[in-house]
Amino acid sequence: MTFGDFILQNLQEFWHLTGFYNATWEHLVMLAVGLFFIWLAIKKNFEPMLLVPIGFGILIGNIPFNGSAGLEVGIYEEGSVLNILYNGVSAGWYPPLIFLGIGAMTDFSALIANPKLMLIGAAAQFGIFGAYMVALLLGFAPDQAGAIAIIGGADGPTAIFLSSKLAPNLMGAIAVSAYSYMALVPVIQPPIMRLFTTKKERLIKMKPARAVSQNEKIIFPIVGMILTCFVVPSGIPLLGMLFFGNLLRECGVTNRLAKTASNALTDIVTILLGMTVGASTQASEFLTSETIRIFLLGFMAFIIASTSGVLFVKLFNLVLPKEKKINPLIGNAGVSAVPMSARISNNLGLEYDPSNYLLMHAMGPNVAGVIGSAVAAGVLLGFLA
Amino acid sequence: MKKKLFLLLVVVTACVTAVSAQGRRGLRINEVMVVNDSSVVDDFGQRHAWVELYNSTFAPLEISSVFLTNDKDNNKKYPVPLGDVNTEIPARQHVLFWADGQPNKGTFHMNFTLTPGEDNYIAIYDANGLSLIDEVVVPASLKPGQSYARKVDGEGGTDADAWEVRDGSGQYYITPSSNNVIKDTNGKVEMFAEQDENGFGMAVMAMGVVFTALLLLSLCFYIISKIGEGVSRKNKVKTVTAHLDEVHDSHKDHDSGEAIAAIVMALHEHLDAHDRESTVLTINKVRRAYSPWNSKIYSLRELPRR
Repeated sequence: MTFGDFILQNLQEFWHLTGFYNATWEHLVMLAVGLFFIWLAIKKNFEPMLLVPIGFGILIGNIPFNGSAGLEVGIYEEGSVLNILYNGVSAGWYPPLIFLGIGAMTDFSALIANPKLMLIGAAAQFGIFGAYMVALLLGFAPDQAGAIAIIGGADGPTAIFLSSKLAPNLMGAIAVSAYSYMALVPVIQPPIMRLFTTKKERLIKMKPARAVSQNEKIIFPIVGMILTCFVVPSGIPLLGMLFFGNLLRECGVTNRLAKTASNALTDIVTILLGMTVGASTQASEFLTSETIRIFLLGFMAFIIASTSGVLFVKLFNLVLPKEKKINPLIGNAGVSAVPMSARISNNLGLEYDPSNYLLMHAMGPNVAGVIGSAVAAGVLLGFLA
Repeated sequence: MKKKLFLLLVVVTACVTAVSAQGRRGLRINEVMVVNDSSVVDDFGQRHAWVELYNSTFAPLEISSVFLTNDKDNNKKYPVPLGDVNTEIPARQHVLFWADGQPNKGTFHMNFTLTPGEDNYIAIYDANGLSLIDEVVVPASLKPGQSYARKVDGEGGTDADAWEVRDGSGQYYITPSSNNVIKDTNGKVEMFAEQDENGFGMAVMAMGVVFTALLLLSLCFYIISKIGEGVSRKNKVKTVTAHLDEVHDSHKDHDSGEAIAAIVMALHEHLDAHDRESTVLTINKVRRAYSPWNSKIYSLRELPRR
């Protein structure tokens, strides 16, 4: 072999390792999807904290490379750095950490002041089980149907947690679908809310919530954890961490821990979770007909969840006295996209009556939705795992 | 202080002991063969009686230093040796011990044998040699080539009904180092697929559970808020009453409230007195710990802001 041949052979081998040589149209489609997510986040300001890491993760995960070269760079190659970071998703320990942060940053006062709002959070979970029924009709197995249906809970960490247990092969599509629709809540929910409410109902003014004592705020996470986990022990990882985070916040003696849980820890886990979920959408795994069906089911689950929340409030109003009627515009907040869906209730309320602030009322069903979707995930896990 | 430290030490020790005991308690005798004439061979190519142990927990279980015995009067007959990495049984997995009376052959060869035609007592004791973890009496009726196995891996405690004789025929397969119940599908999923084709049952059950959980929480907080309201009302009444009594006592021999209010208003008008507090500025010194990582000197430029 001449020196020239040697150089040529090595350059040829290197060329075979490059992304240009290994690229397929699927890779290019996924790169375009990643860029679209980043565009949505930066230009449209749709959930940028989630869509920027996910979008960039999609770019990282879809750089073409020669998988048989044993470079240990792919997210599914054991021992690669991305694979190690992905363990938090595949083994399901990122979502409970996110829930710890959510608990530490959530004020449950609105819910404690008006406990009946919890039922709206429960009603909105019908989106999950409605989608479950349709997923079965489309030919998914019960465990896969359960994992897909949880998208209707509008709760990314819960969707990742459940799909990692019930259908790990669908997790990428489920996670991306859940986060995409959460980002699109401002687009999806308002038409549904308008469609199912009358002008008179949208003008209902609710009484301001009573002040909640600090003792009640401290008792809430303790009693909440014990009660919900007694009913659904399979929800312990999510519910336990959620209420633990809230106790850190409310007890008044662990401010430093609460601050870390709600800021630094949540930020770190969000970065890792978003990036690795994005990177898990490798074209070969992601671009399938199943993914399209999952996206359709997710969309439907969101619509059913928002609709059932609004309709439940209307139904509930039938039995409530006139002065205690609930504005059905807060029904959409029963899905747990916190605080986006509560903000939408408020904005829509203000659109019809500039003095009707619904934010605090909507926060009740909104945080109840977080609890409700975690309970629903526990139920699905208990029944199907 | 010393008392507190001592209490803390006691609590920690109790917790550690409880956790350790809990882990070891998950070890089970899962299947036994007394006369091995056609089953699995050991590393030396020989057939011996065997005892399969099963880790029924969902975490790896280190079993070195536990005792295996076939003698009710000698709990510490065969200590599982230390220092062998294979003595850690993965979660829900098995390990096979040979009852060949030849412990010099390795960790998994015990220093006792099982006797055909007799009841064979086998037990596992924890490292202290006192705490019984599991025991079983293998019936004398067990024939050569048959095994005595738990119907479901690791389940049933010491209850004899949890065990059955297996001869390798039909579903009674002999499974050394493997699950007694071989699952090729998820039973729960299969059941839902068969019984609840359209998912209506799941929707009803699951929504029922979700509503129950949140309804319970809702009721609980309704009650707590009512109690809270009652207590705060009582406290308020108590405080107001006490305050009124105090005011009444202190002003018994003085002017009435109206008179004092009139004097104060007159003084206010006359002196044009204001509250000075709003004019006071408090300046706190802000300290930031220096670190080269947060120094702007080392940044190329500031983060862009939209």
